[in-house]
Amino acid sequence: MQAQTWFGYIWELLPGVVTALELTGIALALGYPLALLMALLINSAPRPIAWLSIAFVEVGRGIPLLVLLYIFYQGLPQIDIIPSAMNAAITAFTWSTAGYATEIIRSSLQSVPNGQLEAASSVGLSDSDRFRFVILPQAARIAIPPLMGLAIIMFQLTSLAYVIAVSEVMQAAYFLGTKTFNYLPVFLAAAAVYAAITIPASALVTSIERRLARHV
Amino acid sequence: MSETSAPYLSAKNITKDFGETRVLDDVSMGINSGDVISIVGPSGAGKSTFLRCINLLETPTSGLLEIGDFKISIGPGHKSATKKELSTLRRNVGMVFQSFNLFPHLTVMENISLAQKRVLGRNDDEAKERAMTLLDRVGLRDKADQYPGRCSGGQQQRVAIARSLSLDPKVMLFDEPTSALDPEVGAEILSVMKELANEGMTMMVVTHEMGFAREVADTVHVMVDGRVVESGNPEKIMNDPEHPRTRKFLGAVLGR
Amino acid sequence: MVLYILQGLIWTVIITVGSFAIGSLLGVAVAGARTAASKIVRVLGRIYVEIIRSVPPLVWLFLVFFGLAEIGLKLTPFQAAMLTFSVIASAYLGEIYRGGLATLGRGQIEASNSLGLSRLDLLVRIVSPQVFRTVSPSMVTYGIGLMKDSALASTIGVVEMTFRANQVTQNTGQGLAAFAIVGGAYLLLSIPLGFWARGVDEKMRKKYVVN
Repeated sequence: MQAQTWFGYIWELLPGVVTALELTGIALALGYPLALLMALLINSAPRPIAWLSIAFVEVGRGIPLLVLLYIFYQGLPQIDIIPSAMNAAITAFTWSTAGYATEIIRSSLQSVPNGQLEAASSVGLSDSDRFRFVILPQAARIAIPPLMGLAIIMFQLTSLAYVIAVSEVMQAAYFLGTKTFNYLPVFLAAAAVYAAITIPASALVTSIERRLARHV
Repeated sequence: MSETSAPYLSAKNITKDFGETRVLDDVSMGINSGDVISIVGPSGAGKSTFLRCINLLETPTSGLLEIGDFKISIGPGHKSATKKELSTLRRNVGMVFQSFNLFPHLTVMENISLAQKRVLGRNDDEAKERAMTLLDRVGLRDKADQYPGRCSGGQQQRVAIARSLSLDPKVMLFDEPTSALDPEVGAEILSVMKELANEGMTMMVVTHEMGFAREVADTVHVMVDGRVVESGNPEKIMNDPEHPRTRKFLGAVLGR
Repeated sequence: MVLYILQGLIWTVIITVGSFAIGSLLGVAVAGARTAASKIVRVLGRIYVEIIRSVPPLVWLFLVFFGLAEIGLKLTPFQAAMLTFSVIASAYLGEIYRGGLATLGRGQIEASNSLGLSRLDLLVRIVSPQVFRTVSPSMVTYGIGLMKDSALASTIGVVEMTFRANQVTQNTGQGLAAFAIVGGAYLLLSIPLGFWARGVDEKMRKKYVVN
């Protein structure tokens, strides 16, 4: 196969990449703060609210993203709510992101050594000050690498939005395939595009992980 | 010694249960302003737990705590301490831990300034000035902008002492401050503590360092299995202990 | 409707368990390659794992099902799904094993060598049991993830739960009900398994952690 055709394919896929990045970006921008909220609610809120938060998280994590996508795109119309493909995708991805991110955040909050909590208390810091100045900064350092890893995974998962007709990479690939009657090279090009973004991103996360570990 | 009016700090009938196990059994101790108390005993005697009950890092199952004007009864039927009460308590009672517990993501200077600003409301300049004074006192002025990770154990503990002093507490609690340090380094810390004592700080020290107890403490309390078995001045306790457990403990510790 | 959709569960289970089983065996080879003495083998192993993990499972599925068909290898949806997920699992499980091996430490190997155990004995009797104990929780967690990924098989025509729910939606328009059933089924499967994983983790910690 000629290099030119390859580049041609990849060129056609690029708008899909942009959409995929947009979708990922929005899901993270909404999902991560939501996850922090959930983590705090699960840890500190009164029982009923904590239970609701746990339910929210478990559903986001326990149901395959594909099924969540279908629920919002094909399920809601049953009760007369008809979201656009992108909106359905954003909702599903945000829920899923929040689900996984909550676990990461909770785990990082727990990883802050007990001695730190005691030192902060013994020096008179209020609970909120203790959280803001001692727990959160240390937990953040622990949580950042896994959260970045999650972001990469979410980017890869945008491929699923294909099934509800979001114009991301796979959708673009599919159309390209129908035009050229050559699915194999087109899908290979799609694979290459994902790999080209994922591999450097993962390497970046690893180096950040190493640098964070050195500081603390 | 100091005037014996009512003790500045007094813990009465402190009992602590962890589930089925009774870790502290009716422990009572008082300390006058300016005095130094040393609490010694075998591991697991409840010494650290008792110390942590004083600043309510641990909540006793029952007992009475009086520190200056602050008074709280603990146990079934009593309300737990309010956040404000806890804050006031901890402003006046400083604590130094065995594992230092400096905040690793803050510089030494920031470690010492944080509580001053957030708890005492001092502004940035005041806090830094005070921090520098304290760092001078413990001999670490040049480490002000370093992170704890770059400091040795002995240096970290000195910073920890400075951090606790930054709130101008009336009482200082020391929980085995030298146990995690080499003997030589530990000796430096002990001499800092000795200076503090000479300056009139009221101190409660849990330690294995019998030398410190003998030289600096006004009273030694021996704790075994959650109870105080013997109390008295250091000379008497060490040369002429009465309680069999005390003898056994001292035999093991001093007979090396 | 409920019954029709839930019948797809069989496929979910078969694909999940089957791929996991094959992947866990292949994963040993992957871990072996990643820790081999020969640098070339190690690099090849690294490339294998990196590429598999850098491409989304959906893309792999399509490549295997549609792509291979174009060069003459026509697989049934089920076969394509099994093949794809087994290979993907081998990469992830291989990495999990590798992590477990790293945790083990040289001391075990040195002790065994000094006792004169053969390499095979070392592997089977000393290394594997300990690595297995360390990585079991991660393996279970991965298994749960694999089960959720298996829903993707619906996109290439495997008649499992998600596929059936789609059919039902197209026929009756009751999408919410249909997919709620699917979602519920996955929750009922993954939540207990999640607890089991956590339980296994704690048991392992209590019993076997030496350092």
